[in-house]
Amino acid sequence: MLTFAEEIMLLILDDDGSFLPTRGGAVEYILAGAVLMDLAFANRIDTDLEHLTCLDTVPTGNPILDQALAHIADSSQPKDTRGWIETLAGQDTAEIRQQALASLIERGILESQDKKFLWVFRARRYPTIDGRVEREVRLRISDVLLSDDIPDPRDVAMICLVDAAGFLRDIFTAGELERATPRVEQLRKMDLIGHEVGSVIAEIERSVMMAMAISPH
Amino acid sequence: MKIEEQTVDSVVIVSLDGRVDGSTAPDLEKHISDVVERGDARILLDCSKMDYIGSTGLRVMLAGAKKCQQGGGNLVLCTLRATCKSVMEVSGFLTMLDYYDTRESALAAQS
Repeated sequence: MLTFAEEIMLLILDDDGSFLPTRGGAVEYILAGAVLMDLAFANRIDTDLEHLTCLDTVPTGNPILDQALAHIADSSQPKDTRGWIETLAGQDTAEIRQQALASLIERGILESQDKKFLWVFRARRYPTIDGRVEREVRLRISDVLLSDDIPDPRDVAMICLVDAAGFLRDIFTAGELERATPRVEQLRKMDLIGHEVGSVIAEIERSVMMAMAISPH
Repeated sequence: MKIEEQTVDSVVIVSLDGRVDGSTAPDLEKHISDVVERGDARILLDCSKMDYIGSTGLRVMLAGAKKCQQGGGNLVLCTLRATCKSVMEVSGFLTMLDYYDTRESALAAQS
């Protein structure tokens, strides 16, 4: 099974293997939330409206998750979910991204390509070799949002991340998205970590828009 | 957390006593799975003695409801204490899962 960070990376990459812009430009919060979700689904942490608690310090075997788990376990200062999202997002999330990409390459889902543009600059891209996994992720999201069935908790968490990143419009047509909106609003609250990621990014987006509105032209 | 089970009119009533948190939720998950696997997909979770529920507990209830639905039945909750009910309302779970204020009304709906 892919981690949340790996699944979201598949959706962040376009068909050429370049990174799509995320809502509010806040990809680090998406990745931090993905790591916390993986720890929660591995029964290493639990959350409620006021606390994020470490349940089990036994390593998961995934270096990125274990680094975050050790950080949470060693912290003398209790924090809520939002506090930990902000803490992890403020660290070097490039490592989370690189590990997710490396895992996807190792599984034969992506490949790494270095390309030159303007004859001088180099850019690394990650085109898809095997598109089945990405299609399966999109299909799962689509199935949950366009039906009334009780969703799998893992799908709920993933939908919260995809919604927070602003990628639902890449999965659905405008008409489908309109039809799915009440369901999105229902599910958005059902995963606490995902809900907090969405709230943080919405605040960033509002701050950016306010700054743009008041800045002199 | 203590889990007790009784069957009334072919509805399996699972009574929860204590905290449903990250350390106890796996027990509830296993209990619900065992009930569904033996063919009883109509479950009533009596929460009158449940005094805490965290995210892991909420996920286990949602997964349990999905299992029951797939097994042709459903999972219904009743008698939540005010604090737990508030958590489930804020997190939107009561819009997804069937909830009744009394055990009698939940049983009537299940029967």
